[in-house]
Amino acid sequence: MRTSAGGIAASIIALFLGVLVVTQFRSQDVYSRSLQLETPASLTTLIANLSDRNNSLRDEIFDLRLRVESARDSISSGRGSLAEGHRQIEQLKVFTAQSAAKGPGISIRVDGAFDDRAMGDLVNELRNAGAEAIAVNDVRFGPRSWVGRGPDRTILLDGRQLTGPWLVKAIGSTEVVYVAITRTGGIVGQLDLIYPRTRFTVTRETALDLPALQTPR
Amino acid sequence: MAALAATPDPQRRSLKHAFALLLPATLFGFLVAAQWQGQEERSQLAVRYNAPLTDAALALQKEQNVLKAQLQDLRDQLDRIQASAATQTGAAGELQARAAELKAQAGLTAVTGDGVVVQLDDAKNVPATTKDLDQAICHSTDITDILNTAWRGGAQAIAVNDQRVVGTTSSYCVGSTIMVNGTLMSPPFNIAIVGPPTSVLSAFDDPNQLRDIKQRRDVQGLGFHVTRASAIHVPAFDGALTVRFASTQ
Repeated sequence: MRTSAGGIAASIIALFLGVLVVTQFRSQDVYSRSLQLETPASLTTLIANLSDRNNSLRDEIFDLRLRVESARDSISSGRGSLAEGHRQIEQLKVFTAQSAAKGPGISIRVDGAFDDRAMGDLVNELRNAGAEAIAVNDVRFGPRSWVGRGPDRTILLDGRQLTGPWLVKAIGSTEVVYVAITRTGGIVGQLDLIYPRTRFTVTRETALDLPALQTPR
Repeated sequence: MAALAATPDPQRRSLKHAFALLLPATLFGFLVAAQWQGQEERSQLAVRYNAPLTDAALALQKEQNVLKAQLQDLRDQLDRIQASAATQTGAAGELQARAAELKAQAGLTAVTGDGVVVQLDDAKNVPATTKDLDQAICHSTDITDILNTAWRGGAQAIAVNDQRVVGTTSSYCVGSTIMVNGTLMSPPFNIAIVGPPTSVLSAFDDPNQLRDIKQRRDVQGLGFHVTRASAIHVPAFDGALTVRFASTQ
């Protein structure tokens, strides 16, 4: 009787041990993604980003409400909606890079070793910072543009060879884009470490002129 | 003496039992403590900092979804007004046709067609402490590289987890959370690509493309699958068409 009682007790303990070992292993050792597991610093950055996006959406909603009312008034008074149509086309031509674009922003001169993936990352960061139109060596980036590795350390943009030094121009809110790109730990800081012999010069620009996309797809 | 050896003293026997249980009991205690402490640390941090911040982030994402629906509704209203105006004059009709063409190029209209679907996911059951963790999970730069390869292969329209990729789209990583078009996302990523399937597939099959992702799939078990598919649906872009600083010449 004693042996059997001891055996049962030991089995129960062993069972608990097994469960706990597994729980402990699963809860601490397997990588998992969850918003709840982010650090407060990351969450704060995410909140700032979401907040910016929502503000842009609100601005556009406000703008569109006015345009809907104005188009309704024009049509009811027999004037048609030509003005609204032209305005929409101008906006879409900039958005799709079908027309040349001008405006304030920043320029980044990249002098030294660089490659297509880094160029892709730089363009991604510029878009994330709110750049509305981007060109490299006066070749415009379009919505379906791609970059690749060309011969002799050149970078291909939609198949066109671009030779260094590269001059990246981005139209947008000068201060917002400048700060996003040059902030501590930002893209230029990272690229500086990855390409220590390459010189990255970021300049605020009051008036940039970007050409239209050359090969619309 | 012989009798004593054959039947041990009951006191010694219970002492032996107690010692035999000592080790598992200690381990048991240690694990209970570790488990309790682990939960305690997490919950304290969560209560103090993360819970309100997580709630705020989720509330903003919810608000974003509402704002996008409102924006879509206004775009539809404007389209209807212009469509009715287009029937009034020839000039308005021409303008509307041009606007429709540009909207399609901008990604403001949904597209359905043949193409390729790419699935990207973290490797399964990766130990959080492994030194290869970065190699085994997906990053926002992987999404940028996949989009670049798809455009190179002649893609016409792409969506990442139903977020349409347009001229201002960026993928962004904060901690382990990824944002595309400013929308919170986490793996698995379903990248729907409408375009000529053979050409898009050959871009993905090119050994010079996505070397890093393919190597991580083979070595660390990163989830990366490219398959041909038909009737792929790519929704319209529902974000803001921000053109505030750039203007036509």
